Order: sequence, then C-alpha cells, then structure tokens
Amino acid sequence: MVGAFDFVPAIVLLPFFSFLVALFLGKYMPKGGALAGITATAGSLLLSIWTVLTVAGFTGTATTYQQTLYTWAGGMEGTPLPYELTFGLLIDPLSSMMLLIVTLVAFLVHVFSLGYMNDEGETGLPRYYAGLGLFSASMLGFVVADNLLMAFMFFELVGLCSYLLIGFWFREEAPPSAAKKAFLVTRFGDYFFLIGVVAVFATFGTAAFAGDGSFPALAEAALAGEGGGDVNTLFGLDPQAWFTVVGLLVLGGVVGKSAQFPLHTWLPDAMEGPTPVSALIHAATMVAAGVYLVARMYGFYALTPTTLAIIAFVGGFTALFAATMGVVKREIKQVLAYSTISQYGYMMLALGSGGYIAATFHLMTHAFFKALLFLGAGSVIIAMHHNENMWDMGGLKDRMPTTYYTFLAGSLALAGIFPFSGFWSKDEVLYEALVHGLGGSPLLLAAWAMGLLAVFFTGFYTFRMVFLTFHGKPRTDTARNPHGVRWNVKGPLAVLAVLAVVAGFINMVPVAKLTGLEIEFLHDWLAHGPSGLTSEHYSELTHDYANYSVGTLVGGELGTALISGAVSLGLALAGAGLAYSLYNVPEPVEHTDRLGSAKDVLFNNYYQDEYQVWLANDVARGISRGADKFDQGVVDGVVNGISSVSLLSGSRVRRIQTGVVSNYAALLTLGLVALLVILGLQGGWFV
Amino acid sequence: MVPPQYYLLLAAAIFCIGLFGILTRRNALLFLMSVELMLNAANINLVAFSVYWGNVTGQTLSLFTMALAAAEVAIGIGIILTLYRNFGDVDVTDAASMRW
Amino acid sequence: MIIEALIAFTFAAALVTFVLPDRLAGRGAFALSLVPVLGSLYMWSQFDASGNALLGGQTAFETVIPWLEVAGYEISWYVGVDGISLPLVVLTTVLTSLAIVSAWTPIQHRQSQFFGLMLFMEANLLGVFTALDFFLWFIFWEAVLVPMYFLIGVWGGPRRKYAAIKFFVYTNAASLIMFIGFMALVLGLGDSTSSFALPDVAQALRGGDLGSFYGLDANTLRVVAFAAMFFGFAVKVPVVPVHTWLPDAHVEAPTPVSVMLAGVLLKMGTYALLRFNFTMLPEVAVEYAPFIAAIAVLSVIYGAMLALAQQDLKRIVAYSSVSSMGYVILGLVAYTAYGVGGATFQMVAHGLISGLMFMAVGVIYNTTHTRMVGDMSGMADRMPVTTGILIAGAFGYMGLPLMAGFAAEFFIFTGAFQSSVIAGNGLALFTAAAMFGIVIVAGYLLFAMQRTLFGPFRLDTDYEVGPAPLHDTLPLAVLLVCIIALGVAPEIFFSMITDAVDPVIGGVLQ
Repeated sequence: MVGAFDFVPAIVLLPFFSFLVALFLGKYMPKGGALAGITATAGSLLLSIWTVLTVAGFTGTATTYQQTLYTWAGGMEGTPLPYELTFGLLIDPLSSMMLLIVTLVAFLVHVFSLGYMNDEGETGLPRYYAGLGLFSASMLGFVVADNLLMAFMFFELVGLCSYLLIGFWFREEAPPSAAKKAFLVTRFGDYFFLIGVVAVFATFGTAAFAGDGSFPALAEAALAGEGGGDVNTLFGLDPQAWFTVVGLLVLGGVVGKSAQFPLHTWLPDAMEGPTPVSALIHAATMVAAGVYLVARMYGFYALTPTTLAIIAFVGGFTALFAATMGVVKREIKQVLAYSTISQYGYMMLALGSGGYIAATFHLMTHAFFKALLFLGAGSVIIAMHHNENMWDMGGLKDRMPTTYYTFLAGSLALAGIFPFSGFWSKDEVLYEALVHGLGGSPLLLAAWAMGLLAVFFTGFYTFRMVFLTFHGKPRTDTARNPHGVRWNVKGPLAVLAVLAVVAGFINMVPVAKLTGLEIEFLHDWLAHGPSGLTSEHYSELTHDYANYSVGTLVGGELGTALISGAVSLGLALAGAGLAYSLYNVPEPVEHTDRLGSAKDVLFNNYYQDEYQVWLANDVARGISRGADKFDQGVVDGVVNGISSVSLLSGSRVRRIQTGVVSNYAALLTLGLVALLVILGLQGGWFV
Repeated sequence: MVPPQYYLLLAAAIFCIGLFGILTRRNALLFLMSVELMLNAANINLVAFSVYWGNVTGQTLSLFTMALAAAEVAIGIGIILTLYRNFGDVDVTDAASMRW
Repeated sequence: MIIEALIAFTFAAALVTFVLPDRLAGRGAFALSLVPVLGSLYMWSQFDASGNALLGGQTAFETVIPWLEVAGYEISWYVGVDGISLPLVVLTTVLTSLAIVSAWTPIQHRQSQFFGLMLFMEANLLGVFTALDFFLWFIFWEAVLVPMYFLIGVWGGPRRKYAAIKFFVYTNAASLIMFIGFMALVLGLGDSTSSFALPDVAQALRGGDLGSFYGLDANTLRVVAFAAMFFGFAVKVPVVPVHTWLPDAHVEAPTPVSVMLAGVLLKMGTYALLRFNFTMLPEVAVEYAPFIAAIAVLSVIYGAMLALAQQDLKRIVAYSSVSSMGYVILGLVAYTAYGVGGATFQMVAHGLISGLMFMAVGVIYNTTHTRMVGDMSGMADRMPVTTGILIAGAFGYMGLPLMAGFAAEFFIFTGAFQSSVIAGNGLALFTAAAMFGIVIVAGYLLFAMQRTLFGPFRLDTDYEVGPAPLHDTLPLAVLLVCIIALGVAPEIFFSMITDAVDPVIGGVLQ
C-alpha cells in the first residue's frame, strides 16, 4: 500500500527541483521563480502534514519509518570496505514534527519574499529563489537523515546555502564578508563534527541513529557491559571517556551552527542577508540544525554526563551572554539576532539537563515566534525603506496595525509572557534544569541560574524593541509616512502569529500537573517511536548514566513547576516593565550611558569578534606570511642554492675554454701525456 | 728485415715534430701541415705492423687515413680561406669567438 | 589491443596537429582528442578486470609483446589496466580534451605546435597509466617531461624559462634517484625475476625474495630503495619540502597547461607511489608510517598556510594542490580499504576539481589580464556564469558534500582514522591534524573569492568587461557536472578502485 512514507523523499526533492527550476529557468518565469518555490514548499508542507498524521496514527496505527534508500559507498558485492555509507530516511515523531516546522516556515518565507524581494524590485531573483529552494531542501534532507554521515553532509549543504543567501547582495562590501564569516566560523565547528563522524565510524562501524545496530544502542550496550566487543575505543580510553570525547567532537558542529558561545559571532553579521533569509536561517533551518542534531542523537549524549553538563553550561551561559548584548543594540535585526543566540542557548540548556521534550518544545515554539518576529521586522524594514535603525522608527503602531499586533504576539512569546507559546516552552526548559539540579546535579543549578537571569534581559530587550519601533512618536519622516505592505507580507505574519499564540497549548505542563488533565500532547507524541528513540528511554538513560533524578522544592513536582513558572514569569514581566518605564514614552532617549563602562563592552559584544578576527586575520595570516617567507627563502632557497652551486662551478670550469686552438691542443697533449704516465706507472714501465 | 722498433722510433719522431708544430705555431697553414705529419706518423705505424704481422688490415686502414687526410685538407683549406677573409690573416689565435 | 590503438592514435593525432595550419589547430586537436575520450569510455564499458594488476589480479586489455633483452632481463611492451589505472586513464583523456578547448582563447601564436604538444603529452600520460613493464613505463614517465617543458617554456609567462628549467631539472633529477632505487631492488631480487615487468617484481618483493645487493642486506636495501623511490615520486606529487617547483611552474604556465599539470601530471607521482612504494614495499611503509604521515600532515597544513599568504589566484590554487596531495599520502599510508581507495579516488577528484579551478581562473584572466587578488573586485557582476561555476568549484575544493572532493576526503579520513598502522591509534591523531586543512582551505578560498568576485565592480581596463564566450565556460560546466556526479555516486569509480586496492592492503596490517 502506498502511504505517506513513500512520498517522504519528495518532501526533500520538491524544493530541490524548485532550486533547479529557479536557477535555470527563473529568468524566463514570472516572479523570477518564486512560484516554483512556493509550489514546491507548499507541496512539501502538505506531504509533511500527511506524514505527521501517519506517524500520529490517523491513518491506522501509529507508525514510524526507517529505510535505507541509497548506498553511497561500499555497496558492491565482495567489497573490502568494512562498512557501508548510506543515505536513508528516519521518520519518527521528532523528525516528522521538524519536517512540519521547516516546510511551514519555508513556505511562509517564500510567500513573504514576494513582498520583500519582488515588490521591492530586487534583481537576481532567480538566484534568490534558487538559494531558498536549495536551503529548504538541504535542511529537509538533514531532518530526515537516518545516520550521522548523511546528517553531516546536509549540514554542510545548509552551510553553503547560508553562504549564498547571506551574501545575496554581493555587489556591496558587507554581505560577502558576513557570508564568508558565517561559513568560516561554522566550518571551524564542522571540523570537530567531521572528526566526530569519522570517530563514530571508527568506534562503532556504523553511524545509524536508530535500531539495534545503531551507534547510540551499541554505546549503551558497551556501557552496560553487554556486547562491548563490537565497540572499538581509541587511544586505550575506556568506553565512557571515549564516548565523551566523541560526543564533544560532534558537539563542535552543533556549537558552530547553533551559534553557541564561543562560535556565535557569525550570526549577528549574518543579518546582512535579506530578512526572509534571516527568518529561515534563525527559525527553522541552519541554527535549528545544531540543536536538532543533539536531539536526534540524544540516546548517545544521554550516556555521557560530562557532555551533558557541558551542553547545559554552554547553553545556560550563551542564553545569558547573548541576552545581555541584545539589550543595547540599535538595529531591530541585531536585537533579534542576539535573541536567537540566547533562545538556542535555552534549548541547549534543556538538552544538557535531560529535558529532551522541553528542548524540542522550545525548538518548535521558537521556530514560530522567531519566524514571526523576523518577518515582522522585515515588514517594518519594507515600511522604513530598508532603514533598520530603531531610533529612526517610533509610532509605527498606528500606521501598520497588522504588523504591530502580530509582532506583539511574537514578542510576548519571546519574552515568555503567559499564556503565549514561549512561556510554556521556556518554563519547561527552566523547570527541567531546576528539578534535575535539585535532584543531585548541583552544576545544573548554576546553568539554570544563568538561564533564569536571562529571562529578565529577554523581557527587557524584547519590549525595548517593541516600544522603540512601534510606540512613541515617529522620529523620522519615513516613520511618519511608511511604505505600505501587501497581503503577501500580512498573510504569513497572521499565520505565524496564531501559531505563536497557541503553539504552547500542546504542552502545558504546569496546567496538566495542576488539573490532572491529560493535555501534555507533546510528551505523548515524543514518547512513542522506534525503540531507543523515545523520550522515556532518554530519561531512563539520563537517570542511569548521568544520575539525573528529579528533586523538588516545596509542594512536590506541582509546587516546583508552579514556583518555577511564577518566578520566570515574574522576571520576564519585570524586564518588560523596566523597558516600559524607560522606553514607552513619546520621546525615548538612549539610557545606555547609565551602564557605565559595561556599555562599551556590550556594544562591542564582549570583544568576541575582535579576538576571532584577530585570530583569523592577524595570527593566521601572520603565520602564513611567515611560512611563505620561509618557503621562498629557505625551502626554495636550498633548491636555488643547489642549482647556483652547479651554475657557479660551471662558470668557473668553462674558463678553460679560451677559444684559442693552440690551448686546446696543448690540453689534449697534456691529457695524453698524463694518460701515458698513469698507464706507465700502473704497468711498471719505469721500474 | 728492418726491426719494427726503428719504424716506431721514426713514427714517434715524426709525431713529435707534428705535435711541436701544433703547439708552437700560430699560422693555420703550418697547423694543417703539422696535422698531416701526425697522421702520417700513425700511417707509418700501421704499415709497419702490417708488415710485421703479415696482415693487410693495417695497410687498408692507412689507405682510409689518407682518404681522411685528403678530405681534411680540403675542409681545412676552406676554413683557412674563411679565416683569411674574416681576419685578413691566418693566425689561429685571432679566431677566439668560441671563447666562454 | 585497444590500449595500443589509443596510444598510437594519440601520437598520430599529435603529428597531424603539428602540420595543421595554426587557425585550424585548436578545433582539429579537439576533434582528434575526442577519439581517445571515446576510446577510454569504451574501455570503461568493456572493463572486466578484477584485483590488482601488480598482485596477480586479472588485468583488462592486457598485451605482452617481447621487445628487448638487456643483461639477461626481458623487456616487453606490456600494458593493461585495472581498477586503479582505468579511472586515471579516463581522467587523462577527458581532461586533455577540455584543456584543449580552454586553450582556444588564450593561445594565440604557434597554435599547431601547442596543440600538437598537448596531444603528445596525452599519449605519454596514457602510457604512464597503462604500462606494466618498468622500462616501458619509465620511457613514458620521462617523455611526459618533454612536452611539458616546451609548453611552459614557449607559451608561458614572463619567467617561463626559469620555471620550465626548474620543473624539468627538479623532476628529472628526482626520477634518476627513483630509477637507481628501483634498479637496486630488481638487482637485489637476483634470480627471482628475469624481467622488469612490474607484476613480477611486485610479487617477488611481496613474496620476500629480496636478497642482498652491493653490500646491503635485504632490510637495508628495502629501506634505501623505498627512500629513493619515495623521494623521486614525492617531487612529482609534490609534497613538502620538495614542492617549490610547482607554484613557479603553475604561475608561468598558460592556463590549459596548468590544468594538465595539476589535473594529471601530479597524479603520476601519487599513482607511482601507490604502484611502487606502497604496493611493493609495504613493510617499509608500515615501519616508517609515522614519518610518512608527518610528511602528509605537513603538506596539508603547510601547503594550505602558504596558499593563505598568496595574492596570485593561480598560486593560491597551486599551493592548495600541495595541500590536497597531502591527503593522498595520508590515505595511502593508512593501509585500509577506505584509506588507499580514498587516496586513489582523491587523485581523480582532485584532478577534476583543480582542473576546474585553474580553468575558471584562466577564463577570468583571459578577460582581466591580471590574476592578482588586489587588482579586481566584483567580477561576479560582469561574468556571472563563470563566477558561479568558480564558486561551485571552490566549494568542491573545500570538500562540500555531494561533490567529488568530499567523497575522497571522507574516505581518506575515515580510512586513516581507524588505521592501526601506527601503534596506539597514532594515525588517528595525524588524521585529526590533517583534517584541519578543511578549515584553512575554506579560509583562503573564501577570502580570495570575497575580494575578487564580490563587492563593487572594479578593474582598470580600457575595454568593456563582459561574459566569457561559450567555449570558455562549457568545459567548466562539463567538469562541474563530472564532479557532482562523482560526489553523488562515488561508486562510479570507487567500487573498481576498492577492488583493485584490496590486494595491496591484504595482509599488511594484522
């Protein structure tokens, strides 16, 4: 029987075909190939919905799907290769949910681009839509990947697409530079990831995510003392230590793509790309890829407490660190960029503290509200004739109400205000970190504290952005008379605004605990799936191997959940309230001077860029120039030296060629005499 | 029969005279003559040994040498003529353009 | 007989091209060069070899014709292909045809000689990759240098004479040392072999028949011969520190010649390393694996660092070739199926990718008449198609998945990482160090592209800068398609390669 799973490859291939169509035929098509992209992503979206319904069991029993489609290498009969490298599909609750998110956001971004790019008279549209198509296809390929190698390959292709799209306006100076930086910084992370992939193959002989022979399952068996013979650890390390090393190596790629400290520096620069691309990158594709990867192989990470602790710490720190930088930014997209980094920090925090569901939940809600915010910002930017400085805006509320209300919905979700979606997911993230911290992992409490503090900053910068953009009096002529936007901008905003409001209702943990209703749909959703890939299995693993257990404050789990929710809501409101008092005035002024010397540090992003640019530019180039001098001088010098020795001796010896025939004759005679003498001496003539 | 040593001595003497001519003279014509002398010294050896061994190979070879010498003279005179045209002299040390 | 026909036809084509009038030479040479392409594709379709040609496998299109006898050694015309050489034969014919097309624009004098020499070189290259008798192989090996010398020395840039002589003397001197090393091995084998046929020598050596020679016992002889041959081939590859002829040769050579130099000639060195050192003397390779691996890592990292310092686009690609060839050495020394197979695959992949890069740089140079990074900017504005393909090629060079370079590099990495050739997983550390090359290569290519291709258009010319003609961009597109095809389906070549390298690694690592 033909089911949804038979069409899963089409979810990936449709956007790929739209890439080909837009690239080669785009200039002959109306709208520069946009329609191809919209059709393709709409098709992918419909197929994804069908897939999700199939996984959920609406078409019979709930099923998952794992299928190897293509053997990339090592498939020949009698091959000496120790393992095959394959491409395959893994459709389970996690990946099908992600498919839905990606296709939905990609579809909306395509539609929005009609307003942002076509209506604004951009050139190079076929290239733009080709890039979007390839971007979507790569991300979808990554999502459905059933093994780590395939995931890596599409991960890299995502990086390529981000390069092409961030550098879309290549005739200017800044975008190509930002594109280069994005690729290079993430490439640095991918270097570790690639070693990790290779190490996984060397250790397990497979990189499959799911099944009995998958590497998380083999690792688990090795740690449990069963079947450890199949696992080949390197450098004489014991399995636990070696798995930690491998996990950290793969984590390098995650830190790069998900813009975690210290490889987050590319992301704010990536704002040079067109705004719909920013929405796609930040909400659903590239940056999400890192976190998704950790979730995808969570069965492996859950085995190594050190890795989990590092993930949690990096996440918590990044959440706070990025949030503080978002506080002082002047451009609307910069604020959103830092909020993205911060929000992905929360997801990492959740993953590190054993909150697999919380991380997935936040990944989903964030995708909706961040896409909404970026598209809203795009709408504002259209209105402001591509001026992104918030200090030139103000009072846009009355002139563009649709944008305002949708943007507000997204902001409330981002700040984590009850009952918007961000509240539920962020609350669950913090709850997981708290209870596992209380349950005997005090390190998690520190990460939790950072995450909690970041809530305040999030509330502050979010509403600072809202007030500066939409409230008060218009501060420039463009803000007084903004450019209008059409349905193709408003439509995606409306869809996303609805999702940003309601998406949290699928997993209202505190409400469920309070009322005892069975409304934790996401928990149920992620609890089924292939064996070894379920949330229950993951919590067993974190419990057994990382000693994560639930500890509570007063009132048991319910009380802890309520207290945690109340505290984070309170902090968010406090942040928002501070923003309200400072910036919701008719003529707001910058208050950054009150920060004192911290202001410079924040404006300069803690000098993270400086030292990385210094490393890449001055140190690396300095070394390379030194190497070049060494090469030209010493290595090539030796070669040229050898040749000049022979040239020099040649030039000396040739002086016996006087050109006078008599001299040659004399030399000949001398030679003859010498020969005779030698011959005579040898023959004993003179004795 | 004259012992071969005498021939050898004669040949060595003629060879040395030719060699002396080449090493000391600068006139190209004298050069050519000296070379002829040296060739003839070799010819004497060849013929002498031919007689000594009762074998005609040496005499045959000497005939070759004569033919060669004739050719050489023809070319040599040509070269000397060219020398004279270019330098107005037949001094071999003038033509030193093959110098390093 | 197909191999003889192919080589003979190519020589004949070279002669025909020599006497063609200059204005027809380019088109004529291209038409003639299509015959070897078709021939090699026909060979591919009829390919029925299995195993390694040197180690008792079944060789395809094998011909043995006795030729000479020297000092008791039989010399014969002995050719054939296996899974290692066939991909290189196909690479040679395809790349030569494309290089000839790419020469139509830049070569504007003495065309008939230029294209004749290109074909002459192709014939000799085919000989190098198919010959299975050392004597025959060595003739082709040396004969390749002759056309290359003239191609650089006559049609090259301002310092062409220096570059041509350096290239010729350097590689020729190295060949001499290699020759001595091989001859010492053959003589050390004594009565075990009575011919220079590579399979006989290889099997005798792997069978442990090596005796003492010239006062050296078998073990010392093995090491000395290995070192001599390694040096000889290392110059050709080239690896650090004997690489300095390469950038000079590349910078001075006209673009199509650079394509051949980087695309095929460098592979002669790695091919010979695989065929001689790593097939015949695996004991020495394993014993000195840390040293060889260190050279590989040094080539990768140092070559890439040098590329980072360059301002001339061709020099950048030249140094990055040094870097990429380091991966091949790393794969070879791993002695795993993925490692050695990946190294062989990398020969083909790098041949295509570096050919593409040089061609693309050449197309830009045809328009700009400068290759210095600082002299131009924003070329993407005026030459969108060329730039697009150049970007694709550059990402291929960086090892973008689903392009041939990634496949090759991943095979090498995964093969080398788990190799036990150095005790205690030492090669894994070398591999991890070498893999940092993928970051540096991204660095210098992205920097160079940003400065030349993007930004506002700037180039000081007194003529209009426009897109390149179709016959300049078409070879680029063909190469790009090949690269993507090999990246998506590496099994096109990889299965036959692994089949042929299996005997090489067999029994080396217990």
